[in-house]
Order: sequence, then C-alpha cells, then structure tokens
Amino acid sequence: MHVLEIWYDSSRGNEGKELLCAFLKKLTNRSNLSLFCDLSRYLLCEVCVPDRSSLQLLEDRSIYNTLRAAVKRAHGDYGSALFNIGVIVKYLNAHTGVVLIRSRKKHYRLIWSALSFITCLENRGQMVQCFLNCLHVGGTIRTCQKFLVKYNRQQLHRMLPDCKTDAEKQEVRKAILSCSLSNVRDEEADEDGSDDDDDDDKET
Amino acid sequence: MSVFMDLNIISSNDKNRLKSIIETAAHLGYSTVAINYVVEPQQKKQEIPKPQSVSDIFDKFPIVQGKSSPIKVLNRLTIIASDASHFRPTNEYKSFDLVAVYPKTEKLFHAACMTFDVDIICIAVAEKQPFHFKRAPVNGAIDRGVFFETCYAAAIRDTTMRRYTIANAISLMEVCKGKNIIMSSGAERPLELRGPYDIANLGLVFSLSEGDAKAAVSTNCRAVLLHGETRATASGVVYTMKKPKTPQKQEEESPVSKKCMRCSAHSWCPVLTAT
Repeated sequence: MHVLEIWYDSSRGNEGKELLCAFLKKLTNRSNLSLFCDLSRYLLCEVCVPDRSSLQLLEDRSIYNTLRAAVKRAHGDYGSALFNIGVIVKYLNAHTGVVLIRSRKKHYRLIWSALSFITCLENRGQMVQCFLNCLHVGGTIRTCQKFLVKYNRQQLHRMLPDCKTDAEKQEVRKAILSCSLSNVRDEEADEDGSDDDDDDDKET
Repeated sequence: MSVFMDLNIISSNDKNRLKSIIETAAHLGYSTVAINYVVEPQQKKQEIPKPQSVSDIFDKFPIVQGKSSPIKVLNRLTIIASDASHFRPTNEYKSFDLVAVYPKTEKLFHAACMTFDVDIICIAVAEKQPFHFKRAPVNGAIDRGVFFETCYAAAIRDTTMRRYTIANAISLMEVCKGKNIIMSSGAERPLELRGPYDIANLGLVFSLSEGDAKAAVSTNCRAVLLHGETRATASGVVYTMKKPKTPQKQEEESPVSKKCMRCSAHSWCPVLTAT
C-alpha cells in the first residue's frame, strides 16, 4: 500500500477535497482511492514551579493522569470521552519543564481550557504545586520545535544579566549561539490555512 | 504585538510575596500589573489606605517576557459598597491610578453604572449574584466607558466557586454582549496566575467570542488605564500640571494674579470693573 501525503488549503471547505479526490482517481485510474485527514493540534506548555528542584523526577504519566482528572472535573463525561480518543503527551523535558501535548483539532480548545485549572501535579506519590502555562499551539511537531528553539534562545538571553561569574556568562553565550534546529524546512507549504490563524494569534 | 495586563493583584503586607507575584507575571508576559487595595468601609470609619510607593517593592523591575522593557506596576483601589454613602470620592482617591467599586445591591449597581466616577465595576465571584443584571444600567455603563471585571483566581482555588464564577460571568455576557469586559486574576499567591493566552481561552468558556476574549486581556485593559488617567482631566481634553516656580516669577506674583484670562481677550475686565 502506498501512502502519499498531500498538503492543501482547506480554507474553502470541502470542495477542494472533493476536486482533489476526483483528480487523483482519474490520474491513477483507481476507483478505490480515499482521503483521510489526520488533523491534530500540538499544545506546547511549560510547567511553572516556585522552586526548580521539585521538577527533577517528572514523568509524562503524571502529566497525563493529572490532565485526565482535570478534564473530567471541568467537562464531565463528555470531556473524558474526548480525552480518551485524542490526547497523548508526546514530549516532556524534566529539566526545563516543557511538555508537548497532542490532541484532535476539533477539541483542542476544550482540553486547553481544562489545562488552566490544574493546580498541582502528582509525581511518584508527591504533590507538586505548579501551574501549566501554554506557550504555543501548532499544527505539527515541527512548528512547535521551531518555536521552542526561539523561546529557549530568549530564555538564555534573560538569564545572561543574572550570571554571576564570567565563566557562566561564556557558557550562556555559547549555548545561545548553538541554538538551532537541524534540517529546518522554510517552506510555507508546511502549514495549512488554519494553522496560520493560530500562529498569528500567538505571535507577539 | 499586543500588550497584556493583569489589573488585579491583591496587595498584602508581605513584600516578598508581592515581589514573587510580580516576577511570575513578568515571566508570563504581562506588561502591566495593578496592585489592588481592597477597602470595606464600615459604618462610620472611612480609612482609605495610602498606597505604598511602587519603587519600594523593587529597585529594578523584572523584564517582561518577549519584550525588552520592564514591567509597569500601578496602584488600584476597590471599594466594597453595600450602601450609597460608602463611596465618596475624596482627595485620597486621587493617589490611586485606578478606582473600582464592588456593588452589593441592585440600587448601588445602577448608581455605579450611571453616576459613580469609577473605572471598573467588579462582578461577584465567590457567591451567587444577589441581583439580576438589567440591560439599561449595563448599556449606560458601556456608553460612559466603565468596564466590568471578572476575576478567575477563585475558580482555580475551589470547585464551588468555579460554578459561581462561570454562572455570573455568563449572565453578564448575555446582557452586555461581550463588550467592555476585562478578566483579571485576583491572585494572592504566584501560583494563582495564568498566562494571557490561557485567560483568553477561559473567556471562551465564559461564552465570549474569540476576538472579545483576547480583547478582554489586552485592548480593554488599556482602555481602562486611559480612563483612569483621564479621571483627573476635563473630559479627557485638558489637564493641569503644576509648573515649577522659579525665583524671578515670585516678584511678579501680585500683578499676575489680578490679570485674568478675559483681560487678554478684551481691553477691559468685566470682573474687576464690577467690584
């Protein structure tokens, strides 16, 4: 079975999809062609705690369970059902507290609204007081990665005035220069129309 | 490029707590915060606390995330009014940048919307709204440029409060159609703050539209600030500034005081010739 990935502009509704399907059927002389859209939204969040040391042993399971409980409390059975089908924690960095959560495109706002109500995380039996701050919403992991590189560079810039010794300053400067995403594709065809709306909302 | 503001941070005597709240706000991306002094005047005692000078808290303000300028800190006064005599704009109100009122009865709400000289009217979050919102005073307030405020910290603390907050907010949105709303934190601890985009998303839970929800955290807050600044002016057009007196001017004082504006327009003065 061959899978061809096609990026198209869905801002005009379904007629583009129908036309594309018809065109491809004619092109390949196959009548059993079907298109399925795997739309998702990736929420890039940061776990903010009063002291960094309590973040060390964070696991993605604890974030998942806490989020599930919060969605159940805020949106009831409907919320739990939506959570079960689409949501998964894709990436967690225990040192910086960055979490990447994937959810379905139609329901990501519901999950996002329950995120704000989280007050503590349960991690290996210990309760850690924290809150989740959403940094970026992207349509693909790559856009979130690009944003994360920019954000980390900004954080390093903010850390620079607080450095006490010259050696620390050198370290930070070196880290800033080495921030990059390998194989970053600059094509705008990466994102479909609705992604740009979210990205525009998030740009300050 | 929008500027986000959080106009309700409950003040406390603990300077370190205030410092940590403001640092968290700067980390989250808020460009301006306002420290809220809540006053509940009892029967005869009318003590308005003097706001502590902002430079006492920080000698160097933390830089806002994503920008290069430091965070701005303002002072705000909230009067919890259960009687019409509680709200009496005196000179002490002038030392605050923003003035807010929290009306407890329907008559007071009507008076606050139509006549009181305030910038913000607070909506109950910790209890069921004792009175219904009527369209007439709400529209009057919108015409005057007064804003309605919802705080979300109570919703984060407790589930029962969450129900009251959402219920009161939705009934307000139905009446005012999403105009002139601001959302602020009412935070007492740094963990009760949330980022501006998260709050805009909460606005969707309160049945605001996307544009209104984002405006509730950015443009409407800026409008409140401007409203507060123009409270000391004449209809927002003319404002007076004290000019520093130089020693030479002091000799000419007596003839200058006799001269009035009309003399410069006409060659005679109607006021002086009458006396």
